[in-house]
Amino acid sequence: MRQPGAYSGLRISGKTGPHSLPLARIKKIMKNSSDEVKMISGEAPIVFSKASELFIEELTKRAWMMTLQAKRRTLHKEDVVSAVIKTDIFDFLVNLVSENSGKSEDPQPVMEA
Amino acid sequence: MDHEPPPETPTICCRSNFVFIDRVAMEPMDIVGRTKEDASLPKATMTKIIKEMLPPDVRVARDAQDLIIECCVEFINLISSESNEVCNKEEKRTIAPEHVLKALQDLGFGEYVEEVYAAYEQHKLETVDTVKTGKWSNVAEMTEEQALAEQQRMFAEARARMNGGATVPKQPDPEPQGPQPPQPSLNT
Repeated sequence: MRQPGAYSGLRISGKTGPHSLPLARIKKIMKNSSDEVKMISGEAPIVFSKASELFIEELTKRAWMMTLQAKRRTLHKEDVVSAVIKTDIFDFLVNLVSENSGKSEDPQPVMEA
Repeated sequence: MDHEPPPETPTICCRSNFVFIDRVAMEPMDIVGRTKEDASLPKATMTKIIKEMLPPDVRVARDAQDLIIECCVEFINLISSESNEVCNKEEKRTIAPEHVLKALQDLGFGEYVEEVYAAYEQHKLETVDTVKTGKWSNVAEMTEEQALAEQQRMFAEARARMNGGATVPKQPDPEPQGPQPPQPSLNT
C-alpha cells in the first residue's frame, strides 16, 4: 500500500516518531566537514539522516544507562560524557566532550525545574 | 514539556538575544556548537527524537541535549570525511550512498549498515512511487467501472478531436460524467 512520503526522511523505523533530520542541514554539515568539497549525490543525505538517527539512539541510550546506574531520572551531561568514554567507537568524541565539560568561562544555563 | 526554555547562551560569549556571526544576525536557538559558520541540527527536532527514545517520564537536561547534538554533528563530519576518502579511492567525483555505507563500516558503525541500507531502499521505493503519477497510479486505485468510464471519456475526447467537435460524442456509460473537456469549435 503506497503512502505519500510526507517526510523526505525516514518514518519506517518503529523506534522513532515521524521526525527526521532536515536533509538540507545535513548537506550543509557535510560540505563544511572538509575543504575540498566533493559533489554529494542527492541520496547521500538520506543515508546520513538514518545513520545519524541510529547514532543519536545509541548515544542517548548509553547515556541513559549511566543515568540509571546513578539512580537518577534526569539525563545529565555527565552521563553523555561517561557513555562516550566507555564506548570504543565513540572515541572520536572524546575530545569534544572533554573540552565541553572542562569549560568554565561560560556559565551554563540553569536547568529549569 | 510545559513552558518554553529561556534563551540560550551560545558558546560564543554574548549576552544579547542576537548573535552576530560574520555580521549576520542569527537566532541563539539556531546556534549549537562551534563558533564557525557551521550548520547545526534543529534543536526542536533533535529534542523530540531524543525524548522519543527514552521512557516518557525521563527528563533530559538541556546541556545534555546540546552535547548530544554536538556529537551528532561531529558524527556527520567524521562519516563525511571518511566517505570522502572512500570516494577518492574509488576515483569517483560524487559521494554516493555506497561510499557512506562503506565509511560506516570502516569506522566501526557496521551495525548501522543494515538498517541504513534498508531505509535507503525504502526511500527509493517511495520516491519512484510518487514519480509515477497519472494513469498507472489511477488504475491501481480505480474500480473496474471507474476505469471503464475513464476509458470511455478518453475515447470521447479523442473522437471529439477527430470530428472537430461537429458531433457531440455519445457515451453510453451510466455514471454521471465529470466535467466535459471543452469541445473545439469549427469556423466554416
